[in-house]
Amino acid sequence: MKLFWSFTRQAFHNTAVYRVEFWIRLVSILLAMYSIRAVWQTLYTQRPDAFGLTLGQMVTYGVLGMALHAFIDTGSEWYIATQVRTGAIDTDLLKPIDFHVHMLARNLGEMLFGMGVMALPTYAIGYFVFGLQLPPDAGAAGLFALSVLLGFLVQFHLGFLLGSVAFATLDIRSIAWAYFAVISFFSGQMVPLWMFPDGLRAVAEVLPLQAVYYIPMSIYIGTYSGPEAWSALGFQALWALTLAGVARLAWHQVHRRLTVQGG
Amino acid sequence: MIHVEHLTKDYRRVKRREGLFGSLRTLFSAEYEPLRAVNDLSFDIAEGELVGYIGPNGAGKSTSIKMLCGILVPSSGRIEVNGLVPHKNRMANALQIGAVFGQKTQLWWDVPVIESLRLFRDIYKVPEPVYRQNLEMFNDLLGLHEFRDAPVRQLSLGQRMRADMAAALIHNPHLLFLDEPMIGVDVVVKERLRTFIQQVNRERKVTVILTTHDMVDIEKVCSRIMIIDHGQIVYDGDLDRIRERYGTTRTLVIEFEESVPDFDAPHARLAKSEGRRKWFAFNRLETSPSALIAHISARYPVADLAVEEPDIEEIVRTVYRGGDPQEAAR
Repeated sequence: MKLFWSFTRQAFHNTAVYRVEFWIRLVSILLAMYSIRAVWQTLYTQRPDAFGLTLGQMVTYGVLGMALHAFIDTGSEWYIATQVRTGAIDTDLLKPIDFHVHMLARNLGEMLFGMGVMALPTYAIGYFVFGLQLPPDAGAAGLFALSVLLGFLVQFHLGFLLGSVAFATLDIRSIAWAYFAVISFFSGQMVPLWMFPDGLRAVAEVLPLQAVYYIPMSIYIGTYSGPEAWSALGFQALWALTLAGVARLAWHQVHRRLTVQGG
Repeated sequence: MIHVEHLTKDYRRVKRREGLFGSLRTLFSAEYEPLRAVNDLSFDIAEGELVGYIGPNGAGKSTSIKMLCGILVPSSGRIEVNGLVPHKNRMANALQIGAVFGQKTQLWWDVPVIESLRLFRDIYKVPEPVYRQNLEMFNDLLGLHEFRDAPVRQLSLGQRMRADMAAALIHNPHLLFLDEPMIGVDVVVKERLRTFIQQVNRERKVTVILTTHDMVDIEKVCSRIMIIDHGQIVYDGDLDRIRERYGTTRTLVIEFEESVPDFDAPHARLAKSEGRRKWFAFNRLETSPSALIAHISARYPVADLAVEEPDIEEIVRTVYRGGDPQEAAR
């Protein structure tokens, strides 16, 4: 546990260096929040009851998606891919920590940092400026927090697997582009799953991606509650565990075949 | 401490085709060529030794060191490091070893050195008193306090090497791998690192394997030298023995009182001629300097003379080339 805190502290030191980057990111998130609210407002003036939610819930969903995006995606794939491409992966393997645990600690640290520094301000601005609503009750807030953590685990392991591809290809940029296109759509970050056409919806419900945005956000706005919320959490936990297992297996294979680039 | 037996590592490398069209073809069908980086390598290293591990670029030094660290898995053969098989017990092995890879830093790029060291303390679970004591030693011997609050990206190369050296030793390892730790550092820092390495070896009984291209490092620091080429050991022994075996060439430098025509002496070859000075190369097993001097001074008046031994760099060059000591003199 102490290790996880050490990595959080490290993430703070690491990111605090790039002040300009911080402000640019903050501004771009706020812009995204602004535009998503504008889109829903326009749609609601055209067809007020076509979406099955109040405008307030819908705006909350959209704005929250942006606030979550500020910290849930820690980009574990980029770290792994860079280490592999430059050969610096050997300095990671020199340390007496399991590589999977090491990456988890590192990214959890970055997520906690992002939550404190990025998500809280954006959340506050979302609340005061963009009409972000609070969760229906304290219970929903608690389940939401748990669900975000599970969503992070799913996201992290997908990134870990994506990064592991770099061991074979050295470069993951093109694969990452495809992956981001798929995740931002199928995770329900922009548009909730129930608005999808039937065929796509069936696909989205099987994929683990909905665990990252759709489930936590549905719990937050109250469309998932009670047993429904718990079974959604179960879905997340199951995927998190499965992906963790797959990631460990994949890593085991990768390590056996590892080639370290350069000297 | 280290036992290596018939160690082999094969890589598979994508064969590159030339030109733009060739690169495009590689996208569809890649050809692989096998590459044997380490070939049937065997050696033993005892506790407390300070071994110079040298060889030309691409000889397999780094690959074998990475196998000893458990980073790479061998294709075949056996390795034991202090009773552990590194690639099977990578983490346990990591606790007993420390390493500096001169080309890469293991510190966090954007973070002050001291923060990296703190994280290392947590990762290696170093007790606080030990951590403090080690920091003090690094302050004294490496001058760590001069740059401990600067982020790594702002350090000079010499400072970075010192910081990396501290990181490698923060957990009191039994074994230290130094893979070109002197690369690109100036003479003063080099001297400091050499003294530090010797001190760590002597006082803390840390076994050290040092890879370098600078023969002065080897001469000043190491008690034993292992030369590797094409993935195999080509020489293993102490420095005196390598001098005896490969360094049999001597050069007799003579300054004559007046300029004399070029000539060869028995068992010696005129290697160079410059003004009134001439260089004669000979093998000390074939003739002695005194016989040579007697022969020459009987013919021409000699003003001054000196006998030169080959330096270690020359000897190593000979070993790399696969052996004829006479070659080195030419």
